[in-house]
Amino acid sequence: MPRILHHNADEISPMKRSSIVIVALIALIGGFGLSWYAHNSKPIELESGLWFGEQARALPEFELIDHNRQALTRDTMRGQWSLLFFGFTHCPDICPISLQTLADMLEAIDDVDVSDAIRIYFVSVDPQRDSPEVLAEYVKYFHPDFSGATAALDQLTPLTRSLGIAHTIRNRTDASPDYDVDHSAAIVLINPQAEYAGLFSAPHDPLAMARDMTRIVERHPL
Amino acid sequence: MTHGIAGLTLVLALVLPLNAFAELDITEARIKNLPPPVPVRAGYMSIKNLSARSVSIVAIHSDAFASVEIHRSVMQDGMMRMEPVDRLTIDPGASLQLAPGGLHLMMMHPAEATRPGDDIEIILQMDDGAEQRLLMKVIK
Repeated sequence: MPRILHHNADEISPMKRSSIVIVALIALIGGFGLSWYAHNSKPIELESGLWFGEQARALPEFELIDHNRQALTRDTMRGQWSLLFFGFTHCPDICPISLQTLADMLEAIDDVDVSDAIRIYFVSVDPQRDSPEVLAEYVKYFHPDFSGATAALDQLTPLTRSLGIAHTIRNRTDASPDYDVDHSAAIVLINPQAEYAGLFSAPHDPLAMARDMTRIVERHPL
Repeated sequence: MTHGIAGLTLVLALVLPLNAFAELDITEARIKNLPPPVPVRAGYMSIKNLSARSVSIVAIHSDAFASVEIHRSVMQDGMMRMEPVDRLTIDPGASLQLAPGGLHLMMMHPAEATRPGDDIEIILQMDDGAEQRLLMKVIK
């Protein structure tokens, strides 16, 4: 038997040999291509949030005022990945936790192209107390790159309603300047086409969010 | 001998009330700082009841804040809200955590700007009228 095999191998001409090599190379490259395609066409799965994929939907038109007293609109969201948290500055527990989480998340992202593509917005649902000046001091306390924004409730509510973010003012009386604001603690993800693309529900894990945002932005670089 | 007993009594008289007040072992007492325009701070701590009886904290005072209340962050109808809590009851030997996202002190209207590193005295008032003083560290 070994003799016959040896004989057969001798019979392959140089011409045939090179075609085999070419076919093998094509198969190899095709294999890589297929696995690359399979990897990139697989839906993104997040460990700490929901990715809407094809279900991403356009934001309504809106106009907020940011911490520099500049307009913040749907068009501002184009060409960047945006994470929005809705809260109020007179919120001692949940809001500082969430903003600290977002700051820790940014610091935990190793890929600078990913972190540079992300903008973080704290949107106050308490415009009466949270002026742009208050918001400026508040957001910069957590991270120099954070933005704050707010708007009168009649401007704000169509946006929050379209995002499924609930908020309501409670216990407001003439007797005291203090009142509570109940609000959804979820973090909203807007894609570079200004569409609602994903949602991170509370409680938030900064490291898991950092991995999720890296998955998303590396798959869809700016 | 008489002197000895008198001395012991004096020592006990000095020591006992202090011990009676320190029924709670409080660690990690801290206040999360926020920038000056914001007049609220959250206080957190770990409380262990060292005594043989149940202890209830019914009020908290501090000269550094206009008011200090016990609050709990709760999720309701998809929204986070803060609910006041009347009292904190800790069973003998049990521990209670005031921690981010749950029970916390709602400290309102600081008398002056708070800075990380500051120590702020608060007084816990118990249901039997006893008081316990402690320092809370302001953290970034």
